[in-house]
Amino acid sequence: MRYAIIGNGVAGVTAAFTLREREPKAEITLISGESDYFFSRTALMYALMDRMTLRDLEPYERNVYEKQKIRRVRDWVTDLDGAARRLRLRSKGEVAYDRLLIATGSRPNLFPWKGLDRIQSGLVHFVTLEDLQAVEKAIRPGGRAVVIGGGLIGVELVECLVHHGMQVTFLVLEDWYWPIAFGREEGEMVADHIRGHGVDLRVQEEAVEFHSNADGGVSHVETKAGSSYPCELLGIAVGVHPAVEWLRGVATPPRVEKGVVVSPDFRTSLEDVWAAGDCAEIRRDGEKPLIEQIWYSAKLQGEMAAKSMLGDRIDYRPPLFYNSSRFFEVDYTTVGAVNQAPEGAQSFYRRIPGKCASLRIVHHEGAVIGFNMLGSRWDHAWFEKWIAERRGLDYVLAHLHVAQFDAEFSRLKLEGVTA
Amino acid sequence: MIGPGRLEWLKHDLTNRGLTAWILSAVLFGFYMVLYFTDWLNPVAAALGLGHKWTLYGLLYTLAITLGGVYVIRKYRHNRYQVIRTVVVIVVQVMLAFSVPLLLKFFHQPEYYFSYLWPLKFEYLTPPVVFHMPLPFILYSFFGALVMAPLLAVFFGKRWYCSWVCGCGGLANTAGDPFRHLSSKSMASWRFEKIAIHTVLVVAVVLTALLFVSWGAGKQNPELARWSYQFQSAYGLIVGAVLSGIVGVGVYPIGGTRVWCRYFCPMAAMLGLVQKVGRYRITVKRNMCISCGLCSKYCEMGIDVRSYAQTNTSFTRASCVGCGICAEVCPRGVLRLENVTRRDPQELVQIEVAA
Repeated sequence: MRYAIIGNGVAGVTAAFTLREREPKAEITLISGESDYFFSRTALMYALMDRMTLRDLEPYERNVYEKQKIRRVRDWVTDLDGAARRLRLRSKGEVAYDRLLIATGSRPNLFPWKGLDRIQSGLVHFVTLEDLQAVEKAIRPGGRAVVIGGGLIGVELVECLVHHGMQVTFLVLEDWYWPIAFGREEGEMVADHIRGHGVDLRVQEEAVEFHSNADGGVSHVETKAGSSYPCELLGIAVGVHPAVEWLRGVATPPRVEKGVVVSPDFRTSLEDVWAAGDCAEIRRDGEKPLIEQIWYSAKLQGEMAAKSMLGDRIDYRPPLFYNSSRFFEVDYTTVGAVNQAPEGAQSFYRRIPGKCASLRIVHHEGAVIGFNMLGSRWDHAWFEKWIAERRGLDYVLAHLHVAQFDAEFSRLKLEGVTA
Repeated sequence: MIGPGRLEWLKHDLTNRGLTAWILSAVLFGFYMVLYFTDWLNPVAAALGLGHKWTLYGLLYTLAITLGGVYVIRKYRHNRYQVIRTVVVIVVQVMLAFSVPLLLKFFHQPEYYFSYLWPLKFEYLTPPVVFHMPLPFILYSFFGALVMAPLLAVFFGKRWYCSWVCGCGGLANTAGDPFRHLSSKSMASWRFEKIAIHTVLVVAVVLTALLFVSWGAGKQNPELARWSYQFQSAYGLIVGAVLSGIVGVGVYPIGGTRVWCRYFCPMAAMLGLVQKVGRYRITVKRNMCISCGLCSKYCEMGIDVRSYAQTNTSFTRASCVGCGICAEVCPRGVLRLENVTRRDPQELVQIEVAA
């Protein structure tokens, strides 16, 4: 059996290892145009801040691929011929497969802002290794930067730029920072914390036009409210979309909507072709299409898709949502439904006085359904358990301490946290 | 990407095996050669009113831990584990490893270091030395090394000693902090570590036994007495001077801070074995690791923490000194140092989720 995997991100690599575990003799080919070895994309910011080398970002010793007999091909796939079961590569050669996994991840979004087409330099994203190089080239200590987009990648880029001594303006379109995840209280608390690190964070600011100087370098950003922000580096972090553009021109494209359309067993519309991770759009009759674009979902989908390729019956349902992050040293854990809570859900919110820390527990019809915890560490497994057991708010508040995961002596004090 | 300015360049170069790192390493090697094998520092010490080169060295060592400690406390100020641990390290160094021995000497008592125990302080369980001391010191030497140290390691792991008390670890975790990430993470170095450190432990135990035998039967066997004396001198030179001092500190800027503790320290070896069967462990949160590798990078013992974190494996490694930096640098709060008790809630959830 010949397995080919396009994309060596966390979905593709997890799939490769899962396949190898079950099929010691199969041929497994892992193709990537971006990098020779799998690296942790979520850690790009630490390379930019000189806390890690690029080599440090690789989660496995390099000889693992040899030991596991996973053939690595560094090239871009330009054509997919499902009838002949063959991939054509940009620089040279072809890869024949019996079963194929598409795990090409996502690409940064770009909207049709006015003046965008005239910009030759200074505009950067922060998703790929190429982006990293571009950011490094564009950074000038003491210079001005504007970052657009109030999500996680945006704040990571902001932290890096501040680290390198740039004066950063952070433009957030919405009423408060990261409204997909935060309520107003948390959004404002975190925004203040980010401002405390010297960032000029502005909410309700929508960029409408980019200006450039004579040689095409970005010069300033104009917003709907009429403000103008000078900058020599413009970071765009307004979300990502599935990396599927390359599939539009291939000999036998699988069905593509926003992502590569797959059924809950990760099969695409092409025979013997699967897709998983950020690039996959999972469709189930009568339900909203599902595109998951975080590390954890990609890892899980990679494993599930590989099992499906091995012939297991897979019916993927996303697990209870959870995620974590860190905003300039402030830890964040979320589980379940917070801002996507159903109508009528109630929210228990407490700000911990004196520090950038808060607890939010969302409950509905007598049972907790979601958690948003900032400024301290929590074991999300407990939250998942309480949600599954449909525990009430009082029970959860009384037992909250068992889920604390702060370092010894650093436990957040929960006295007074009662309903 | 290196930060802006010459200072940032120097910081990067010095902590990433650049030219300046090699120069610093050479200077440290040179200093230790002079200290151990010449008396050149005696006049310097005398001129400073410190009497002897070892007092001068003690003062320099204490200064390095104190100043480095202040830097570390500032750096990790939001983490109370790090703050408290570092304060304890500084206090132990200033009191037990510097002031108290001087005071003892002043009162014509043996110069005794309460923060060092056998087999790290090898002489403290060798007959000619220990039996020349006052009774309380003799009792402390035996009780400390054979009862207190292993017992505390059962409950808290070896960290109670290696990261809270010991001066070698103290220097590594204070002045050495900027170099902690240089430890080798390869499988090869792990294999070498297991052989090397346990070899030193076996040698230390055998030598101690030999010295007791020769103490009891040396008069009848002058050959045995002479031979065990030579053995002890060789051990003192190779382990005490070369490995713990010259190599241990000399390679800070090149090979990281815990080379001595990781590969050679018999105390660390002994407590590591206890730790494996004790209650200490690093707990890993389920499915939360993003494989960034900060934990592995900043582990001074060269443990590939990420390999455990990304496979949801809570673990206890014999070499882990419990400094807590892996948990500190983790951007997703995945790791936690714990002394597992029988009715630990964390245990409970692991079981129920698995079931």
